[in-house]
Amino acid sequence: MEKSVIDLKGVSIGYGPDAPPVLVEVDLSVERGSFVAIVGPSGVGKSTLLRVVAGLHKARGGTVTIHETNKPGHRPVSLVFQDARLLPWRRVAKNVRFGLEGLPIGTAERDERVAAALRLVRLDDYGRRWPYELSGGQRQRVGIARALAVDPDILLMDEPFGALDAITRHSLQDELRRIHRETGKTILFVTHDLEEAVHLADRIIVLGGSPARIVRDVRNDPGRDGGVFREQVEQLRSGIADNYSI
Amino acid sequence: MRQPLKLHTSVALSALGVAVFLLAWEALARSGVVPSGLLPSPSAVPAAFVAEVRAGTWQTMVLASLSHYLSGLFLGTVLGIAFGTAAAMWGVWDAAQAWVVRMLRPIPSIAWIPFAIIWFGVSEAAATFLIALTVFWINYYATYAAVRGVDKDLIELGYAFGQGGLVPRLFKIVLPGALPGILSGVRAGLGQGWMTVVAAELFGIAGLGSRMSDASGLLATHIVVLYMVTIAALYGVCDFLFMQVQQRVLAWQK
Repeated sequence: MEKSVIDLKGVSIGYGPDAPPVLVEVDLSVERGSFVAIVGPSGVGKSTLLRVVAGLHKARGGTVTIHETNKPGHRPVSLVFQDARLLPWRRVAKNVRFGLEGLPIGTAERDERVAAALRLVRLDDYGRRWPYELSGGQRQRVGIARALAVDPDILLMDEPFGALDAITRHSLQDELRRIHRETGKTILFVTHDLEEAVHLADRIIVLGGSPARIVRDVRNDPGRDGGVFREQVEQLRSGIADNYSI
Repeated sequence: MRQPLKLHTSVALSALGVAVFLLAWEALARSGVVPSGLLPSPSAVPAAFVAEVRAGTWQTMVLASLSHYLSGLFLGTVLGIAFGTAAAMWGVWDAAQAWVVRMLRPIPSIAWIPFAIIWFGVSEAAATFLIALTVFWINYYATYAAVRGVDKDLIELGYAFGQGGLVPRLFKIVLPGALPGILSGVRAGLGQGWMTVVAAELFGIAGLGSRMSDASGLLATHIVVLYMVTIAALYGVCDFLFMQVQQRVLAWQK
């Protein structure tokens, strides 16, 4: 099995054929099972980079390689969005089932995987609820369950806690660390919150400049607090400030 | 901002409104100010109803009109939703048919009566055609707007989870997302369909419209009113039943 699960080589990204590129010369290799945060100022192309990895946006240049495990009945990549993006006409369990539909698995396995995903995000008893009956944090948990149910090699998360209140955000960050420990999934996590990145990720990629590129690639020991934590956050902050003009 | 009324107050006021309307009508008819041939009294309608039912005419006409209505409604609704969805989803098709739609849309259904007779004769098919035409346009535009209004983020969600192909995108995202708007169109079509039933039957096809036309020719205006009330009641029942279904289907909305 390949050690890396994502390989980006010389990737450049733009929004139209004639528009200048927003992101250039991105070389990034992501190890299997790692938790990588991508940080940088707004508009730098963090979310677009994630969408390129997801196959939702075509890179203008370079190559994107996903080393799939080719397990039957799974999807190599799945996505958690900032706005949860639940289908309002489906109950919670059916939302979680969404990505499983079309996969070559039986009904019993499908139901079991939905139940397991809901258990993992601690929403076992919420399967029959409508999305409008959930809080923002619960909706986001369903989004995570939906992404995990397809048993992906890579979990892409686009500022998933950005729209939540501080208490819910911290609670879900701890949940996500637990889920990462339990599942061993590779996570690529976009955030503009440096403290969140330092709290969660074992590697932090800083994007900056115009057009943007990778300006720092930092190894991190997640879950620390106190002085070391603050020091890491400040180092990242200065790394962004060096490459950012308003 | 007006204050919402309590349910029993609202029902009582509605009943009072109907009672006042009927009493005023009855008083005007009995006053002799308007000749009875021109304005029948509402109290004459129940007797007319009993006579029409005993003769079997009322049931025959209602069944005939229901047959035209339901077949026209079904055809117009299905085709309107299908064409509206196709135009909203495919830009090439939308552009190709845009001016045809602009040319045909303003022509009222009754303007098609000569062609309906030429193509189908004085037959049930002609009435069905006219009703379907009316219902088609309502559903076409409602569906077009509803499908165009589906959240693009949800379409992207489909692609992200392997549901971006035409069939899953259409049936798992586009149509469910557009359903509230589509059902509003279907409901509007229910009412417009009944209006066209009368127009379509006025040229001789048996049904409520033709019975009203015959009765008005004999100045039997109480019979005309009876069938007007019948149409209103049939529409009321259709709309009520549809609302029950709609509420269940859209239970996911707050």
